[in-house]
Amino acid sequence: MSEPQKNPQKILQIDHLTKKFPGAIALKDVSLDLIEGEVHALCGENGAGKSTLIKILSGIYPHGSYEGEIELFGQRVQFQNISDAQKAGIAVIYQELALIREMTVAENIFLGHEPRNAFIIDWNLLYSNARNLMQQFGLELDPAERVRDLGVGQQQLVEILKALSKKSRILLLDEPTAALAESEVEILLRIIRTLKERNITCVYISHKLDEVFSIADRITVLRDGKSIVTLPRAQTNKNEVIRHMVGREIQDFFPRRPTEAGPTLLKIEDLSVGEQGKQRPVLDHINLEVRAGEVLGLGGLMGAGRTELLMHILGLYGQRLGGGILVDGKPLVTNLPSEVIKNGLFLASEDRKRFGLVLTKSIGFNLSLASLKQFTRNKLIDHNSEMQTNQSFIKSLAIKAPNQETQVMVLSGGNQQKVVLGKALMTHPRVMLLDEPTRGIDVGAKVEVYEIINKLTAEGKGVILVSSELPELIGMSDRIVVLSNGRIGGVFTRKEATQEALMTAAMKYH
Amino acid sequence: MGRRHLACYKKGVHIQTKFSIRDFSIGIALVLIWISFAVSTDKFLGARNLSLLSIELAVTATLALGMLLVLLPGMIDLSVGSGVGLIGGIASVLVFRQHFPAPLAMLIGFIFGIVVWSLMGKLITGLRIPAFIITLGGLLVFKGVFWLVIRNETVPVTAGTQSNVYSLLTTYYFPKWIGYLLAALVSSALIFSKIRSRRQLRKHGFEVEDTEIMFMKLFISLQALFLAVIVMNQFRGIPLAVVILSALAFIVYVITQHTPFGRYLYAIGDNEEAAVVSGIPVQKIIVGAYGILGAIVALTGFMQTAYSGASTTTVGDLMELDAIAACVIGGTSLKGGRGTVLGVLFGALIMTSLLNGMTLLAVSPEMKFIVRGVVLILAVGMDVTLARKTT
Repeated sequence: MSEPQKNPQKILQIDHLTKKFPGAIALKDVSLDLIEGEVHALCGENGAGKSTLIKILSGIYPHGSYEGEIELFGQRVQFQNISDAQKAGIAVIYQELALIREMTVAENIFLGHEPRNAFIIDWNLLYSNARNLMQQFGLELDPAERVRDLGVGQQQLVEILKALSKKSRILLLDEPTAALAESEVEILLRIIRTLKERNITCVYISHKLDEVFSIADRITVLRDGKSIVTLPRAQTNKNEVIRHMVGREIQDFFPRRPTEAGPTLLKIEDLSVGEQGKQRPVLDHINLEVRAGEVLGLGGLMGAGRTELLMHILGLYGQRLGGGILVDGKPLVTNLPSEVIKNGLFLASEDRKRFGLVLTKSIGFNLSLASLKQFTRNKLIDHNSEMQTNQSFIKSLAIKAPNQETQVMVLSGGNQQKVVLGKALMTHPRVMLLDEPTRGIDVGAKVEVYEIINKLTAEGKGVILVSSELPELIGMSDRIVVLSNGRIGGVFTRKEATQEALMTAAMKYH
Repeated sequence: MGRRHLACYKKGVHIQTKFSIRDFSIGIALVLIWISFAVSTDKFLGARNLSLLSIELAVTATLALGMLLVLLPGMIDLSVGSGVGLIGGIASVLVFRQHFPAPLAMLIGFIFGIVVWSLMGKLITGLRIPAFIITLGGLLVFKGVFWLVIRNETVPVTAGTQSNVYSLLTTYYFPKWIGYLLAALVSSALIFSKIRSRRQLRKHGFEVEDTEIMFMKLFISLQALFLAVIVMNQFRGIPLAVVILSALAFIVYVITQHTPFGRYLYAIGDNEEAAVVSGIPVQKIIVGAYGILGAIVALTGFMQTAYSGASTTTVGDLMELDAIAACVIGGTSLKGGRGTVLGVLFGALIMTSLLNGMTLLAVSPEMKFIVRGVVLILAVGMDVTLARKTT
């Protein structure tokens, strides 16, 4: 079926695709083609229509729910469901991983199409198939390891193997690196290059333009549901792509406005934290402080203990082995999350679907959830003042939705993130713990998040900002503490911090 | 429900009152059941039977409303049936054998319910043992204790032939004029609160429900209310049990829709981790829900025992399943996070109507079980199918 490399063949053709939702048009007359063996990047702000396009290609939105045609290998296809698309060779690697944590790597790879003898699963064949598949693509994983024991990056590989085991010809990768540390990103990009050599076509969605430019052959920019332009990578540059994405030039990408630092709000003294079943402490003698009006950046690789530190402060994770936490100079004696929050701390988690949102409920329900006491008179909620406050937050955060009764489930990633931040802001925390607040959201929304951080510090609040993106960390922090394998790898002022210095500090104890 | 879904639209966005078949599916099922019974026997729609039905409804729905409070945060309680028997039994023994005044006996029952159910809640949240297991244990323990308490005998709810507060629970009927007075009071309260809420919403710039739709809904609800009172008054008047149920339904509605506690129940059931990170004291809330359930179990215990006239070893048998069935038929999710008071009332009405109608038709006990089980499965199956179609 595949022709020689020199004469690349169109593997997929999308013609005039339009997808309407009640009250909104997600895709407007989008046309696009994929050439066999290429990496085709889709760029665009949240809500530009990338996810909708992926959902149509993968059969989640069945034929008939959209207008336009899709041709695969020159033949018109009409997917009714995900399994139709999979049979045709199209597989999605999701932003949120869809693996069964208690099963082994091999079991996950062959889940749903286990090799069988009559009705009995042939376990030996299953494990040997898994091993063969890994060898074929140069991946090293233990097929018998449980997925829950793997890092996020390795889990991603399992997802990819799962797709390859189904003989997929086209992989749709939706923000595959959102949860990965830089080193893991490298591994993933290497694998995508291997896939390319095997003539597998990849559609690559990412907000990180560095990645896009290091891997993509062609880049298509979507904006407001329209395909704006398709550019060969060699003939374009980041600024041009950003310009097409936002329809404007972004001058001041990290608009941090430093403020005078006030008294210390939160102090971590010699804190050591362990986790059951782990020999070594997860956090080892950590010292740091956050002052009023200050953004403290927290850097480090995946697994360095950044998220664990924030979760431990909130009382959500680990066992205290030593040291303490002081709020306003007074020791924090409780480890009940509800009590910690009463002390003026609030965490906006990196995993917004797990820790941030009640997905099936409305925007309003989520925004006010942590602040209901503010609206409660005589034990009853005053719905009017609640709705007004919600409305003012929706307006000031520019959350795009028909109204505050809209389910958060249907919002784009950026708008969901704004709901999480809005919920946190409504509690008027004095120290805000932000764990990867800009993960998976688009350039425009990122700047809005930075503005929120500026506003917080201008009001004399303290912020801890965890970020895996070094330019963001350097651009937005007044001081940066880098964690390395559970210990402090280095402390930097804004001026001292360079990407190289931070990376070196992050690798110090690994 | 209702209010939050209908009223809160942003200014400038045209209001859409969404009706789907799903909202009506329970109503349609109910009408079908009533029609088939009405065709089979003319006694079914008689004032006497409807009055009886309303008392049976009061007992089942009361317990189901309590069950709703623990289903919302994703818990369950299998012990309520045994609990109904036990607490009714305790009160009966106190009144009949120890000659306690009925109100004191009932107060003791209430306290017992609240304490024991809070303890079960503490066990569930503190030891992280699934509610299913703890309450299954409760089911067996309470049953055994119940039989010990009444010594496997029949213990009447009053000593002698005099009636007391306990026995009157399901035998007292309000005079006719009070029935009309109550209906009038409730209607004016409804109209007043509706108008006030609309005015408030308008004042703050939120768009409100279409006037005609609001009027229609009010009109239909009020007509139903007055029709019910007229029918009840044709027999003996409004039963006390029905007024108790109405008051409880109002209280549970306010708890679930208008208090932080209620909002937290939904949040916990939907995403417990997000609830914890939002600062919700999850354990306290769940223990609180079990505590309230305990009080409601006691109340149901009194009503059910009073309805039987005496505490016997079978009082409360399988009531936990009727309560759960009523909730689920009414659209409550067993995973938590979804369910409303109105839905539960309808669900309870379906379960009660079935049982009442089949008893009138002298259906054998075997068939009664089978029919109730099949209806439960059909109702939930229909709800799930419709849910899939509408999303």
